[in-house]
Formats: sequence, C-alpha cells, structure tokens
Amino acid sequence: MIGLIIISIFITLITLSIFIIANRELSHSVILFMGFGLGSVILFFLFSAPDVALTEAVIGTGVSGVVLLVTLLQIRGRELKK
Amino acid sequence: MNLKKEIRIETIVVSLVISLMTILLLSILLNFDVSTTNSLGSELLNINESTTQSANAVTSVVTYFRGFDTLGEVTILFLSIFGISLGLDNMNKKSNIFSYENRLLKIGVEVLFPLIILFGFYIIIHGHLSPGGGFQGGVIIASGFLLMFLAKNDDFRLNHKIITLCESFSGAGFILVGILGVLLADRFFGNFLPLGSVGDLFSGGLIPLIYIFVGIKVSAEITALVEYFIRIKDVG
Repeated sequence: MIGLIIISIFITLITLSIFIIANRELSHSVILFMGFGLGSVILFFLFSAPDVALTEAVIGTGVSGVVLLVTLLQIRGRELKK
Repeated sequence: MNLKKEIRIETIVVSLVISLMTILLLSILLNFDVSTTNSLGSELLNINESTTQSANAVTSVVTYFRGFDTLGEVTILFLSIFGISLGLDNMNKKSNIFSYENRLLKIGVEVLFPLIILFGFYIIIHGHLSPGGGFQGGVIIASGFLLMFLAKNDDFRLNHKIITLCESFSGAGFILVGILGVLLADRFFGNFLPLGSVGDLFSGGLIPLIYIFVGIKVSAEITALVEYFIRIKDVG
C-alpha cells in the first residue's frame, strides 16, 4: 500500500516538474513549485526522514516560494514603470 | 550550413574528457559496496546512547559529532545574507510590495503570530528529543515574521538593532561554546555539561545549548532576508 502511494507521488512529482518548466506564466510555475515542495514533504516523511521533511515544509513550501513571488513582482513593477 | 566547420577541437576534447569521466564514475559506482560504507553510520548509532544521551540521533550527529560542519554552514548562511544586505539595503525610503488591505489576514495574524513563534521555540528547544532543531525552528520563527510583513503593510517595522544584537551574540556564543569545549573537555565542541537521561528536556549535554544559539541566529538572518526582499524602493 505504501509502495503504491510512493509510486503515485513520484509520478505526480515528475508531471508537476514538467508543468513547472513548460508553463508560460512564471507566477503559475512558482505556485506549482510550492506544490512540488508539498509532495516531496510527504515523500521524505514516508522515507523516514522527518528532519528533512520539516526543513522542506518550511523552506521549500513557505519561504522560497514567497521570495520567488516577490522577486517576480519586483521585476514586473520595474518593467511597468519603464 | 557546413557542419564540418562548426565542430571545433575544443568541443571534441571536452566531449572526450566528459565521456572518460562518465566511464570512470560508472566504474566506481558499479563496484561500490554498500555494506562497507554503512559501518560509520552504525558505529555512530552505537556510541550515540553512551556519549550524548540524545533521543534523536540526527541532532547528535549534527551538533556533537560534526559540530564543526554546523559552524561552517552557519558561516555560509551569514555570508550569503551579508551579500544580500550589501546589494539591497542602500535605499532610503522603502515601502512594502504588497499594498493591499486584507482584514481577514490582519485579524488572523494577531492570533497566529504568537502561536507560530511559540511553535518555533518548541522545535528549537526539543531538537534533541523530536525531529527538528535549530535551523528548522529558526525558519519557522522567520515564517511567522513573514506573515506579519504580509498582513501589516508599513505598520510593522523591524528594529534592526535588536536583530543585529541577536545575530552577533548568538554567533559569538556558538563559537565560545566550542572554545570552552577545547578548554574543559577533549576537543572543539566537546561536551562539558552533565548528560542527564534519555528523554528528559534537560539532557543531551551541549546539544540544546548549541541549538538555541543556532536557532536565534538563523531566525534573525532569515527574517532580515525576508524583509530585504519584501520592502522595495518607493518609485512614486
């Protein structure tokens, strides 16, 4: 059962990463990247690495997503001002 | 287009070197015996109980057996934040990039902010008993401050003196603990505190002390990083 869950999460993560790369809208791919972090949290936890799962949950899903979004907004704002 | 002209000697040399390195790497990886390399991990697990009395073996490796590596990681984080502050902090008037008013977020953050800070300190202090530790707890505290930045646009300002004091004193304390280990125990980051018994809050010797220093340092640095990214120059 756990093997099936792990395989399905792996397939989901691979499709998500293809969507992240191929997406035209950059803000959408940042949101998908945060979803990718969420999937990998479950994966780390199932591989019995709760320390890494906690780090990924905070860094990969929270802080890095917000930092990427803010950087995107700043670049767009400068392009609009010019 | 002539294909013969496009191929240069450097390309051939680089591709030859890369293929040679791939063959070498594959030959090493295929002859790699897992059973011999696992001995270090099982050795550390065997001596963990008697040397540190920590319930979480990962934290005892990170702070006690490999304390010097943690010092290197903290230095790398400090240098990266220092570079970001050099690049982004030379603006006088700054305002928040999110300029909308959200009443739900504004009221909810009043309830959530103390809970998030409390949870972060819990993760830091219980690093030797449960998963987590200084780095994870510090980033959780920083994410609480991030929520504060998002909810209260310009009303919430950080006191940079307090952040600098927290950061520098915890970094200095971290190194001081290591030097005390040289003086009072056998090595750098050697244990000189009583060990206690497994599962108690006051156990594990030096591990909680080191993790409190690392947690304060990481939370101050990540909070400053988030503020540098969220506050931008007022163009208007």
